[in-house]
Amino acid sequence: MALDIEEHYEKIYRYCFYRLHDQELAEDVTQETFLRWFASDTYRNQGQLLQYLYTVARNLCADEFRRPASQPIPEDIPSEEADPLLSIALRTELDKLNGEDRELVMLRYINEVPMGVLCKLYGQSRFSLYRRIKHILKVLGDALE
Amino acid sequence: MNRKLKQALSDAFYAPSPVRKAAFLKQHRRRELDRWELIALQVRYIQWWVWLLSLVLTGFILVSVTWTEEPATWCIAALTPFLALLVITENGRAQLYQMEELELACRMSRQSVILARMVALGVFHLIQFGLLTPLLVAWGKVETIQAGVYLLTPYLLTAALGLELNRRIRNREGLLACGAAAAAISVLGALVENSRPALYQPENLIWWGMALAVAIVAVAIEFTLNIKKMGELQWT
Repeated sequence: MALDIEEHYEKIYRYCFYRLHDQELAEDVTQETFLRWFASDTYRNQGQLLQYLYTVARNLCADEFRRPASQPIPEDIPSEEADPLLSIALRTELDKLNGEDRELVMLRYINEVPMGVLCKLYGQSRFSLYRRIKHILKVLGDALE
Repeated sequence: MNRKLKQALSDAFYAPSPVRKAAFLKQHRRRELDRWELIALQVRYIQWWVWLLSLVLTGFILVSVTWTEEPATWCIAALTPFLALLVITENGRAQLYQMEELELACRMSRQSVILARMVALGVFHLIQFGLLTPLLVAWGKVETIQAGVYLLTPYLLTAALGLELNRRIRNREGLLACGAAAAAISVLGALVENSRPALYQPENLIWWGMALAVAIVAVAIEFTLNIKKMGELQWT
């Protein structure tokens, strides 16, 4: 019932950053997401909070896209890579995926969103989502080998 | 997924650490109840006479078993269904006053509220049974297992039957049916004493044990079905 807000703040922020590629903007949208939940009279505690937060964050990110571009998308993202070659190859393969598949990989394996929540977010059955993820991983795995 | 790929994915989706997180979380907090706080909160909303009747009924079980010349073990089985009835009626209170829609509109889900109230009353009754058992053993000339089984079997059977009826029959009629079921199980306990007194002997405890196992399974199934059904109720 209780949600670890600190942990989910990071995850929602990471999701927003992935969508917006702008640290400031991602943090603004993350805070706006949580503020909407804090102030929400329409959200009822039905055990679907993660789905609620991701839906609000996704809609807010979409709103940001509709605004005139304020910041350029950074070309390269600094990171401490364990295996730079593998990471570069993986990024190349990820770029080949469509946006929704890339987002699905990010939500499932980076943010560790439970399958039940993903099913509701994408409006797909658990079975078809498993197949979709399996297919994406196979494509990524094959390309990296 | 292998660790190498996971690490590479983590790098590919790298995001710099948020800088305003601590300040934001310090300033804004939504008060969330954990499950024990919710149960403690819901205890206050259970009507006082439910607690009182629970205590009175338990006292009555003790008195009826210990103050008679012959050990009246059947009294235990005949009275516990009414304790279960208290739990069912408490959960059906919103139905009775047609306040379900209002409860569905509250911030806390109706499932979690009902669950919390059932847990509160169930735990209270289990504690009562736990305290009652050694007294029945000491004064009522029954064995520990006998006392435990006689207390739990009719209680859980009534709870299972009550939940089933409550799920199928709506409003006041549903609660009346639950009352009738509790009375029927209670009378059955007394009738068995008259027609088959041997059933209350320790050597026939196996039948009680089997009935208890069935009751536990039935309660678990009914409980799940009831909670699911509550989720299906749509706010209109």
